[in-house]
Amino acid sequence: MMVIQPIVQCVQLSKRYGKKYALNHLDLSIPAGKIVGVLGPNGCGKSTLFRAITGLIAPDEGELRVLGQPPGWQTNRHIGYLPDRARWYPRHTALQAFEWGASFLPGFDLEAAKTFAAYMDVDLEMSLAGMSKGQEARVMLILCMAPEVPLIILDEPFAGIDFISREAIISGMIDYLEDREVSILISTHDIQEVEGLFDYIVLMDQGKAIWSGESEELRGQYGSLHDVFRTFYKREWSR
Amino acid sequence: MEEQKIGSLRFKIDFSQPLYEQILDQVRSAIAKGEIELGAKMPSVRELALELRVNPNTVMRAYQELERDGLTEKRRGQGTYVTSSAERVQLFRTELASKYMDSFLEQMASLGISLSEIQGYLSKKYPNETGGTR
Repeated sequence: MMVIQPIVQCVQLSKRYGKKYALNHLDLSIPAGKIVGVLGPNGCGKSTLFRAITGLIAPDEGELRVLGQPPGWQTNRHIGYLPDRARWYPRHTALQAFEWGASFLPGFDLEAAKTFAAYMDVDLEMSLAGMSKGQEARVMLILCMAPEVPLIILDEPFAGIDFISREAIISGMIDYLEDREVSILISTHDIQEVEGLFDYIVLMDQGKAIWSGESEELRGQYGSLHDVFRTFYKREWSR
Repeated sequence: MEEQKIGSLRFKIDFSQPLYEQILDQVRSAIAKGEIELGAKMPSVRELALELRVNPNTVMRAYQELERDGLTEKRRGQGTYVTSSAERVQLFRTELASKYMDSFLEQMASLGISLSEIQGYLSKKYPNETGGTR
C-alpha cells in the first residue's frame, strides 16, 4: 500500500477552554503506516488532539485533516478509537461485546476478535462486571483492533492497568501489527516496556508539538525516552 | 540492560540507542562467530519482536538487511534460515573484520598514534604471541 499523504495533519490548530489553550496553534504532520507515541505530561493536549481527530470536539481555529479529509462520520468509519476512561456495558460478556461490534462496527472481524481474546487471555464468557480494570481494558482494545481500519487511536491504554494486562496488551499489539498496514496513535505517560514499539514520536507540551520525528532519530540524538523527557521537559518524569 | 536468549541467539538491547542497528549487529556477529549454526532456522519476525518488545517493522528491516548480506535466506512458507554456505559467512566475517580494522586505524591516526606505537601496545597486550609468522 502506497500512502504518501499524512494520516493526520494539523495547521495552526487551536482549541480553547475558557482562557486556557488545550491546543495552541498546533502544527503537526504524522506520516501514515507508523506506530506513533503521542507523549507528554497530563494536560499537554494529547486527549484534546485525539478528540479533535475523531470529531468529538470542534477546533476554534486552524485546519485539521484526517486521512486527507476533515474529521467527521465519514472519517470515523475508518478509525478505531479507544477513549480514555472507556467502559463497556457491565452486563455484557466479552463475547456479547464482540458480537455487538460485529453487528455495528464497519469491517469488524469477529474471528479476529476471538483470536485476539485467546491470545490476550480474555475469557469470552465472563461478564464485564466481573472483570478487573486490566481485563476490561483488553476487551476494549480488542473492540478497537478487530475492525480492519487504517487508523487506530488509543488514548492512555495502559493507565492504571496491572503488569500482566499490560504485557498481554503489548504482546497482542505486536502480534496484530505484523500482519497489517495500519497507523496507530497511542498516547501514554507510561513509557516503560512500550518504547520499543513506537516508530514515530510526537512530544507535546502546553498544546503544542515540541518535537516530532522518527523514534530511531530521537534515540540517536537524545537517548532513551526517559532521557528525552528530562531534556525536553526540564523536570523529572513522574511515572 | 539484560541479556535475552531467543533460541541460540543472544541479545542485549539498549533502548537509548537506535534499535535497528543493534538487532542487525547482534545477529550478524552471532552468525559470524558461529553461535547460530549454518542452515539453522532463525526466529520469526513476530517471535523476535515479541521477545525483544520492539516494533515488528524494526525486526523486519534488520532481516531484510541480513538477506542482502547473504547471511540468511527466506524459504517460501517456511521462514528465514541462516545460509548454509560456510564460504559466505567466512567472506562476511573477513569483510566485517577489515571494516573494524579500518575504523580502528582511522581512530588511531586521528589521535596521531603511529604504527610502531600500535605494535608496541599489541605486543604488551599479548606477550605470549610470537608477533607474526614472518
